[in-house]
Amino acid sequence: MTARIVIRNEWRLLMADRPLRLALGLFALLLVYALANGVVWTRFQESTVEVAQAGNVERALAIEQELTDIENGAEPASPFSDPRLPNVLGGRRGRHTAVLTPGPLTALAVGQSDLLPYYYDVNIYTNESSFHQSGEVESPLNLMVGRFDLAFVVVYLLPLLVLALSFNVLSEEREQGTLALTLSQPVSARGVVAAKLAFRALLVVGMVLAVSLAGILVAGDFGAPGRILLWCAAVVAYALFWFVLAAWVNSLRRSSAWNATVLVGAWLVLVVVLPAAINIAAGLLHPLPSRVQMVTAQREASNEAVNQRSELLARYLEDHPEMAEGVVADEPGLGALAWAATDAVNRRLEEVTAEHDVRRAEQIALVRRYRFLSPALLTQEVLIDAAGTGDARFAAFQSQVRVFAERWREFFVPAILASEQMNAGVLSDVPQFRLADEASADVVRRAGVPLAVLTGLLGLAGAGAGVGLGRVRGAD
Amino acid sequence: MQTAESGAGQPPLLEARGLSKRYGATQALDSLDLAIEPGEVYCLLGPNGAGKTTTINLFLGFVPPSGGQALVSGMDVSTHDRETKRRLAYIPEQVMLYRNLSGLENLEYFAALGGKGSLGRERLADILVEAGLERDAVDRRVSEYSKGMRQKVGIAIAMAKEADALLLDEPTSGLDPKASNEFSALIERLRNDGVAVLMATHDLFRAKETGTRVGIMRYGSLVTELGTDEIGHADLERVYLEHMHD
Repeated sequence: MTARIVIRNEWRLLMADRPLRLALGLFALLLVYALANGVVWTRFQESTVEVAQAGNVERALAIEQELTDIENGAEPASPFSDPRLPNVLGGRRGRHTAVLTPGPLTALAVGQSDLLPYYYDVNIYTNESSFHQSGEVESPLNLMVGRFDLAFVVVYLLPLLVLALSFNVLSEEREQGTLALTLSQPVSARGVVAAKLAFRALLVVGMVLAVSLAGILVAGDFGAPGRILLWCAAVVAYALFWFVLAAWVNSLRRSSAWNATVLVGAWLVLVVVLPAAINIAAGLLHPLPSRVQMVTAQREASNEAVNQRSELLARYLEDHPEMAEGVVADEPGLGALAWAATDAVNRRLEEVTAEHDVRRAEQIALVRRYRFLSPALLTQEVLIDAAGTGDARFAAFQSQVRVFAERWREFFVPAILASEQMNAGVLSDVPQFRLADEASADVVRRAGVPLAVLTGLLGLAGAGAGVGLGRVRGAD
Repeated sequence: MQTAESGAGQPPLLEARGLSKRYGATQALDSLDLAIEPGEVYCLLGPNGAGKTTTINLFLGFVPPSGGQALVSGMDVSTHDRETKRRLAYIPEQVMLYRNLSGLENLEYFAALGGKGSLGRERLADILVEAGLERDAVDRRVSEYSKGMRQKVGIAIAMAKEADALLLDEPTSGLDPKASNEFSALIERLRNDGVAVLMATHDLFRAKETGTRVGIMRYGSLVTELGTDEIGHADLERVYLEHMHD
């Protein structure tokens, strides 16, 4: 009953407060702009994926046509790109592009999708360095601050709006003198503040969720209800955390100016300073090896390999008897020698990239350990995971591409070593990449941890606010 | 200083039993005993810091007592916060309202909080007029109101609540003589309706005019109590000054 009365009054106060209406309108515009940014990025990714998939089909058709023509007596277009050669068919000419389609809610949270590659050209030369290239050529400013998407607005700007709406939810009543008259009625300060904040929360969360659902409608996938629920739950929990924190600070019965200072300080620490500090700590404690080191290692290994190709081939066959299958040509061809050199380079690269991967895993572990300190980090993790643009989905994609690249090599390398020739008949047996995307249930299970911690922080702030507001009386 | 039971065996509407309040080293109220029956207007007189506002705040549950009890219809305010507040109406020294809302909207809000949400806008507008507000002012924003007009909205809030007891803290402070007289007439009407009134005031004249009993406070204690029909204006002033100069 009290809630309905207070909410009705809050609506009237909102309607009578022009600056507040303008602030809400501006926030709504920012939400729409952020969504538009996300939709543009998603469309770009979708078109890139389409081009890559069309390229796979076109290449396969062109090779099939040329092989048929050759079988019918025609000469290859070039001796260096003869599709009968397994190192050509399995090499760059016959490559297969493995793609990761945009996550179901990429339009809401671009996340890692503009940092991590979402397609790889797989051929027999695919090695670890292929997995350490970045994706699109991107503006350095975008890389530094991230895209202005809905997740950015939620994590960074939504708390500011929440604080602007609620930093003085109780202190203003005291300062303007209405608190005494209010609390002389049969109501509690806790009930009144809860209703006032509920109204503001409905406004703010309602706007974010409405724009989110509009985004899903325009560029998303309603077939992922688990992810949508996760997104909504994270938005609600995060917004409520800030509302409840504001209630807690208000319950300390200080001035509005003091409340504003403390809450903005909390935003600065929890949203800006802590995440940055954790990031810096991860970089300092577990620094990644430089890319220059990786490139140098690759070049050194290449030079060495060129000089020792025969020796390398013998060593390769010792290490990989399954590849030879007893059909190695008596006189190793150029393709076999080249493959031995390639393999040697790959091994050297694996040593360098393994160190890189270990350090990166250590960095991620450190960030995961300390992300519980910042509700902003927790929320961001849930949002991008729900959107399908988080680390985990890209790591799973990369892992599947690694397996696919291995299958690709296993298909072509024995033919290279045996100096066999390929024909149109083998094309149907050439491996194809099929992404096994993560199930929504797995995402919900994984994101459940940060969401539960976020809810715990919300509960903690709520308990503090509840106790504090319980002590508020009319004569404070 | 009396602690009385009403004739029908009902407890007094407002009663203080050994009511005390201490703020650190300061004894703001010291063992106050007081009982106010329906139809009584009890005026608390005294200088600033005498404990008048503290007494009202204790009845409203705005501050917890250090000792004793504040009772409304026999219910302890400390343990029956909601029930006692349903029976009380309060008009502070300065009625502060939501400036961006009209007087009528403010009344709608506070009346609804007080449990009178069923009163229609027409009825509430009539109550504002009964409280002395001009009809054409009821829909104007409170930011355009004078202090007297805001005070009238406060009175309307109390009237709409139809409370058993009314707590007034310097209600006529800053009002012009005409508004003060209208206020006195209103209190008289409420008294005739059986409302018990506890009013803290500096205004000896208003206390004599409006009150049925007067209590003079000093340093947190009730130093004397008089019936207003037993004493004239001049005598009241003399008694008051005598106690202030002790």
